[in-house]
Amino acid sequence: MEPMGKVLMINYEKCTGCRLCELVCSVMHEGVSNPSRSRIKVVKWESEGLYVPISCQQCQDAPCVNVCPVKALSRDETLDFVEVDYDVCIGCRACVSACPFGAMSFDVIAKKVIKCDLCDGDPQCVRFCEIEAVEYVDADRVSVFKKRDAAQRLSAAQKEAAALQAQL
Amino acid sequence: MALDRKVAYIDLATGNIETRPIPLDVRKKYLGGRGLDAYLLYNHTEKGIDPLGPKNTLMISAGILGATLASASARTHIMAKSPLTDLLGSANMGGFFAPELAWAGFHHLVIKGKAKDPVYLWIHNGEIEIRDASNLWGKTVTETQWAIREELDDEDVKCAVCGPAGENLVRYANVMTGIKNSAGRSGMGAVMGSKNLKAVAARGTMDIKIAHPMDALNYNRRFIDQIVSAKVNQTQGTLGTPFIWGATNSWGGVRCRNFQYNQCEYADDIEPERLDEIATETMGPYHMTGCFGCQVHCRAQYKIPSGPYAGKYDEGPEYTSEGAFGGEPDCKNAVTVLTSNHLVDQWGVDNLEIGSIISWAMELFEEGILTSKDTDGLELRFGNDEALLEMIRRICFREGWLGDTLAEGGIQASEKIGKDSFEYLIQVKGMSNLHSDERATPALALGIATGSRGSDHLRSRPAIDLYHLPEEVLRKVYGNPVPYDGPLSSDHTSYVGKAWMVFWQELCYMGVDCLGICKYHTTFLGATLPNFEDWTKVLYYNTGLEMSPTDIWGIAERCYNIERLFNLREGLTRDDPRKGDTLNHRYFDEPCLRGAPDVIGATIDRKKFHKMIDEYYEHHGWDENGVPTPETLKRLGIDKEPSHLL
Amino acid sequence: MAIDTEKLSGAETLRKTRTYGKFRCHNPSCMGRLTPAAGEKQVRCPVCGMEFRVHWIRPDFPRIRGPVWDVNRRLAEEAAAKKLPKKAAKKEGK
Ligand code: SF4
Ligand code: SF4
Ligand code: SF4
Ligand SMILES: [Zn+2]
Repeated sequence: MEPMGKVLMINYEKCTGCRLCELVCSVMHEGVSNPSRSRIKVVKWESEGLYVPISCQQCQDAPCVNVCPVKALSRDETLDFVEVDYDVCIGCRACVSACPFGAMSFDVIAKKVIKCDLCDGDPQCVRFCEIEAVEYVDADRVSVFKKRDAAQRLSAAQKEAAALQAQL
Repeated sequence: MALDRKVAYIDLATGNIETRPIPLDVRKKYLGGRGLDAYLLYNHTEKGIDPLGPKNTLMISAGILGATLASASARTHIMAKSPLTDLLGSANMGGFFAPELAWAGFHHLVIKGKAKDPVYLWIHNGEIEIRDASNLWGKTVTETQWAIREELDDEDVKCAVCGPAGENLVRYANVMTGIKNSAGRSGMGAVMGSKNLKAVAARGTMDIKIAHPMDALNYNRRFIDQIVSAKVNQTQGTLGTPFIWGATNSWGGVRCRNFQYNQCEYADDIEPERLDEIATETMGPYHMTGCFGCQVHCRAQYKIPSGPYAGKYDEGPEYTSEGAFGGEPDCKNAVTVLTSNHLVDQWGVDNLEIGSIISWAMELFEEGILTSKDTDGLELRFGNDEALLEMIRRICFREGWLGDTLAEGGIQASEKIGKDSFEYLIQVKGMSNLHSDERATPALALGIATGSRGSDHLRSRPAIDLYHLPEEVLRKVYGNPVPYDGPLSSDHTSYVGKAWMVFWQELCYMGVDCLGICKYHTTFLGATLPNFEDWTKVLYYNTGLEMSPTDIWGIAERCYNIERLFNLREGLTRDDPRKGDTLNHRYFDEPCLRGAPDVIGATIDRKKFHKMIDEYYEHHGWDENGVPTPETLKRLGIDKEPSHLL
Repeated sequence: MAIDTEKLSGAETLRKTRTYGKFRCHNPSCMGRLTPAAGEKQVRCPVCGMEFRVHWIRPDFPRIRGPVWDVNRRLAEEAAAKKLPKKAAKKEGK
């Protein structure tokens, strides 16, 4: 069987908002601490305590790949992710506009577009996120996990409803 | 060299701004954060100035490891002469401000003078601008931050602000960031208010160079393992800091009814487990959050479940809010604790100080020293939750005679109230004691009596003294990095060797505060957590600085002595009940009435306490009056201060 | 670089002394080791008689939630009667 690609799976409900993922991503790729050069970003609604890490979804039919005028973006066969070929890239930022998740960023210091490259198969964000808000899992497992989560919520809600009903 | 960070001098009166690199030799003497702030304070203030006058200087800083891979390199340190104590003012907060300040190009700010009208500082990629804040004046802590973000049109701006309490010059107002992170001791928010400085806003996309990136990553993984494997941090990660209050209340080590009791009985509704249930009910199962880079995530998110503030979002409560609004005033309702916590977070006042002061006033009221004329009819009694909430408001907005009086801090208030009100005031150097009760724990009592910013648990508390660790474990901790072969005791009711523990912890916490990391990541609540030896690695990989554990120890000692010199210059004398290394007489005279059988009857023994202080001075190389000897100053290379290196 | 990167630090070596599943009695001179059975909600110290409610951080990780108030209060009153001068003890009764 063809090896199924692994993907980053983000469960934002778990995220504590610490931004360590941003820090380690920028150190890994640029050798510096600078979240603006990170490939992952934690979007926050601070007044409600909601934190959502956003990174590349490695889309199958990727808008960034489709929009690139010089074909600098392509799918890496071994790790199954969308890769930037910097020798070809002209830095026009069309991909930045096209990405529906804002996961393609522009590094203002290196003056280049940047996106998640799965750290050559050892994702640093995953390595450091103790609470496992970011995980590196087989692509086909994601929906299984999500189903299980949803089922759990559903059954908990049902139990609660039953308990409430019993009190009536 | 990775260490290319800057200090900015900002004169609010003239608008003059000057920036300078921080020279390596200064780093090697003072590292950064609190240590370097102490040096700057000593060099940039004159003796005897009014803390709320234009001549006070306010330091805001990141630690030397700020924004690096050093687990939680998140802490912001604030320093100035304290309007509460007239001595050293020093406060520290987590959150996300310090790293942002670093990415914006600065590690240290030295703020002088007073602005004519309300202003805020906008610090952005190496540039500093003084901006009009008249539309921000009067706004709460979060309102201010959201308004600044809107004005600058950038959601990622991080701010250190003062709330209404700071504007109203409440002498224990906080500097705050985010929802609840508070530089919450010694009135640094009032210093901001006195300078018409509403906020410091930072946003940066500049690099902080990491000296050895891959090694730093790998070591940080190991460092984090060491931190999160500690049982205490696993507990904090689920119950938050209230767990400490719960554990201490269980045996009778917390204040209740000001200082009448050492336990808050039948406090089930404010137990940490109960607060955790409320957080789960209102925010779901994943309700813990934390500071930049931290994997401990010690604070809960919650919504107030009922009452006039029902539905309001906040974070915490911390162990201090639990003691200050639950145990001390004997208000055993979760909703009261959660609501009070929200009010102090919004108005920007030290929860610990205000809770302690209100409990003191409650005792004065019950003793008849304060009357209902003084309280404008308020029944200021223990267990009166409404009175507690009302007093928080009156103090923050200086309403009524009592609100205005208590906003001045305990010592000044006691002078206005008169009678023997001072005798009831549980303070050291004018700063209220934590809600812990140290009568059964001499080491902890010594710590609060000698802390350089007044009564305090984060200056030198040897909390692991309570764990009855075997002597060999104690030796392993306290016998490094400098050898110690004097006595040590596993018994926390004993006086033996405690002076050394306090001295050691002082330097350990100074180290942490210079590095700019969190105290939950060092030998505070757990013996296996990192200290001097571990820091050499994290310092080297991140900044390239090569230091030995004893080098860091020496720096910590130097910095602590600078703080001591400042306090001595401003009038500290050993036995002064208002400005000395002393405790309220009740510690010696009133026995513990509650708690574990062995705690009942405990008091601090005057003679032994005195001897402990002698020993502690000796470890420091101070004379019997607590003054560093000329040899000590020479050994530490600070015999010619102020030396104006920076 | 003089820093030995592999060697465990003093604090790291202490990690091996860590134990789960038990905690110490809260009475200072007792400090007896208490080991609640899995899931147990309450324990009694066999040495000094104090009783505690137990909270489980994880199934293998119990901690003291708080005292069993009625029991420990009685023990405290007994100790107070023995140790405290009458005046102080009376204050507690007020
Ligand atoms: S490291 Fe994990 S918890 Fe922290 S911000 Fe990133 S995803 Fe969230
Ligand atoms: S996998 Fe690597 S590149 Fe992608 S977001 Fe995580 S740390 Fe960044
Ligand atoms: S332990 Fe708590 S206070 Fe310390 S850095 Fe982590 S979240 Fe912040
Ligand atoms: Zn016992």
